[in-house]
Amino acid sequence: MLGHNGSMISCRNLTRRFGEFTAVDQLNLEVDRGAICAFLGPNGAGKSTTVKMMTGLLAPSSGEVRVGGLDPTSAGLELKRRIGVLPEDLGLFDDLTVEEHLLLTGDIYGVPRAETRSRTSQLLHALSLEHGRRTFAAACSHGMRKKTAFAMALLPNPQVLFLDEPFEAVDPVTAKIMRDLLQSVARHGVTVFLTSHILSMVERIATRIVMIRKGKVVWNSTVNELPQSLEDHYFDLVETPVVEELEWLGPSRF
Amino acid sequence: MARPITILKALATAYRRDWTAIESLTGNNFFLLTLLLLQQAGVFVYLILGLVLLFPLSTDPLRKIPPSRLALWPLTRREEWVLRAAGPWINPLTWILAVGAIWSAGRTISVGLWAIIGGLFVAAFALSHLPSPGRTPMWRRVPGLPGPLNQLVRKNVREILSTLDYYCAAILSLTVLAWRLFGPPLPHEAYMAMTVLTVGAVSSYAQCLFGLDGEGGLSRYRLLPVRGWQLLLAKDAAYLIALLPLTLPLAPVAAFGGALMVLAVGHAPSVEHPREQTRWRFSMGGALGNGIVQMIAMAMTVSSIFSMSIWFLVPACVAWTGSLWWYGARLERAL
Repeated sequence: MLGHNGSMISCRNLTRRFGEFTAVDQLNLEVDRGAICAFLGPNGAGKSTTVKMMTGLLAPSSGEVRVGGLDPTSAGLELKRRIGVLPEDLGLFDDLTVEEHLLLTGDIYGVPRAETRSRTSQLLHALSLEHGRRTFAAACSHGMRKKTAFAMALLPNPQVLFLDEPFEAVDPVTAKIMRDLLQSVARHGVTVFLTSHILSMVERIATRIVMIRKGKVVWNSTVNELPQSLEDHYFDLVETPVVEELEWLGPSRF
Repeated sequence: MARPITILKALATAYRRDWTAIESLTGNNFFLLTLLLLQQAGVFVYLILGLVLLFPLSTDPLRKIPPSRLALWPLTRREEWVLRAAGPWINPLTWILAVGAIWSAGRTISVGLWAIIGGLFVAAFALSHLPSPGRTPMWRRVPGLPGPLNQLVRKNVREILSTLDYYCAAILSLTVLAWRLFGPPLPHEAYMAMTVLTVGAVSSYAQCLFGLDGEGGLSRYRLLPVRGWQLLLAKDAAYLIALLPLTLPLAPVAAFGGALMVLAVGHAPSVEHPREQTRWRFSMGGALGNGIVQMIAMAMTVSSIFSMSIWFLVPACVAWTGSLWWYGARLERAL
């Protein structure tokens, strides 16, 4: 039930066009079971589009993608039962509380009620969400919303986790907890595919690094195969930061 | 004085956008069909619509600015007072009430009426400043339900309770309840007419079932491993749970049949022409034609069950089940 070469995530010439614009161009990728794959690139590089194709939210224009051996387009429902997703927009309902979101997830994924309650308590505790468990999503801070969506992705104990920018907008302690949780689930055989702009965090957690620029993969290796620090390599391959002087700030005072 | 003027200008722009939501009334099939069918007799319904609409429109415009932002702006005490005094005049309702009060001067009955409306406006304005008792507003206190879709149903009930349509139906229902308790006996047919009006008042919501889910909610629906018909079922169950208590003083069985027809017809625009809705406004349905079909089907079902036989529930159930299956499949493709 796995993809090419026994990998959990497999993409072959995966392409997505929006009219004349090609968001993802002939992408080839294999991610093994239990790997933590960081998918890096600047805004608009095609990261979220790729994740959407992998999770069945968007059909490819051409090429193929397999997740756990399943085609997201034709086996969408079965695939959804096996994956956990932290989407770009978090996918929360304004009219449900933090705790109700987790109970909803357990019920929908067929986790027994007692087990759902136990996992909910553990996740709320681990992610410091206990004080806000009865807060409605509409009233939550962005960090709380992010943690809720992260907990929803973990709760059904999926085979593959897709996380779109999981560490952004969370405090350093929670980011560390999330990192530890992800490393723990990966050790249990869960494949993690994440996008992030926080390179220091990625360098600590990822086992595989894939960089994408203008829809094309420009780097794909294990983290040990990087020739230099991740940040330097990213700037060399993906984009070089250019700092412009803001003239209206006036002359330097120090 | 430039700072308060800039803030007031920004508020006026925000308020002008907000007032476009009043257009929702013109897309509400209950309002339109009352206008077309009841005409003179519809004044009672318009009074209820106006009353329900008055409360959310009476809130203080300054509440549109987050308190933390307002506190950070470098405003002098005088500028704050200017803002406080001029703020209410951004709300067009203030001007309407002021002009109405001047116009009605000397007309005893009109003055009384305007005094009541003005009083309600001031009360709603003042209430909008009070913190809600407890952390959860009353309309969000929906108990848990059994079944795997229970949290979705609970959420959907909360969505219905944040539309004005529901409170319009509630006033109609409470009017009948009060009449039954304290007034002379109503003619038998009156129950049927009020049932049609009450179910009709929330019929537009059934045309935009996903209108309050927002982009995040729709995104979650796409990720959940559930069938399209299950998502629609959770919507329909919430609709019936919210509506049926209101029909208890009326004709509940006939109302149940009518509600099933409203949902059966409402699935099509909900799935194929989804329209985003605004909380604390009337639901804006789909095309007028769909609203007319919905109201006619509902009225016929209610009158058949009420006047002839409970067996007319069967075709309503069949129509609803067929619609659930058909539009459930279409929903999966649309998401």
